[in-house]
Amino acid sequence: MAISSIEQRIRWAGLLVVAGLLVQLLTMTWSHPLAFMAFLTIGCPLTLAGVLLYLFSLATRE
Amino acid sequence: MQEAVDLYAQSRKIVMPALTVIEILVAGMTAVLAGLVAFRADLTRARGGKILAFIALFLLPALAMAAGLSQQMEKSKSTQFCMSCHVMEDYGKSLHVDDKSYIPAAHYQNNRVPRDQACYTCHSDYTMYGGLTAKIRGLRHVYIQYLGNIPKPEDIKLYTAFNNRECLHCHAGARSYMETSSHHKTSDMLQLAAENKLSCMSSRCHDTVHDVETLADAKFWTEKN
Repeated sequence: MAISSIEQRIRWAGLLVVAGLLVQLLTMTWSHPLAFMAFLTIGCPLTLAGVLLYLFSLATRE
Repeated sequence: MQEAVDLYAQSRKIVMPALTVIEILVAGMTAVLAGLVAFRADLTRARGGKILAFIALFLLPALAMAAGLSQQMEKSKSTQFCMSCHVMEDYGKSLHVDDKSYIPAAHYQNNRVPRDQACYTCHSDYTMYGGLTAKIRGLRHVYIQYLGNIPKPEDIKLYTAFNNRECLHCHAGARSYMETSSHHKTSDMLQLAAENKLSCMSSRCHDTVHDVETLADAKFWTEKN
């Protein structure tokens, strides 16, 4: 089945959100400055990028 | 001395807070749902799939991120977090010195500060955004720890002189503070302290603070469970 460009963006958005959340999950189990930094500089930006890409896919046409 | 090295670790048994467990469950569930949408993007053609995508790719990630940030901020207040850096180890040990003239040790051992947030309680300004400025200073510490030149423990100094405001946040109005004779050596002593013109710590009164260079000769207190 052919995938539209919107669905492709949603797929990428989902992958980014999953990657960001996995980083966040890892950092939640560790109380250390490096975990805090990884959460702030990797986990949050990945999740945020996924959310923004999803919103962008809603706002654009095929 | 070796016994003292492990004092902090022995006395603080870390239990994962319930909120962290909830946050982990929310983030895990969100990751599963987002993964489902990612691998079955065709689901979003139906109305139910659109709602699922909105929940999995917007609502829940935003919630998980906000909750995670809150948890990370809370964790970063912990004494264990501050002691993560090797250079801070001696400061942790100084909390266990068996000598009440060491101000941090006296506060820590007598529960005058919460032991789990001992560093944060005294080293965060009691002002608006005090917690935020403490976090910004913390980011600088992380930078120095991993990318800068780490100073020797005894060379670490405060950025600015310790403000009496941090002491008086708890001690102001307390009978032991207001009525003790040593605080009335001059008639304006309390007034000067309140205005931070007479330092509690550097006016030869309570001037034994962490003093990590003296720890080699110190005796240590062991918490009895």
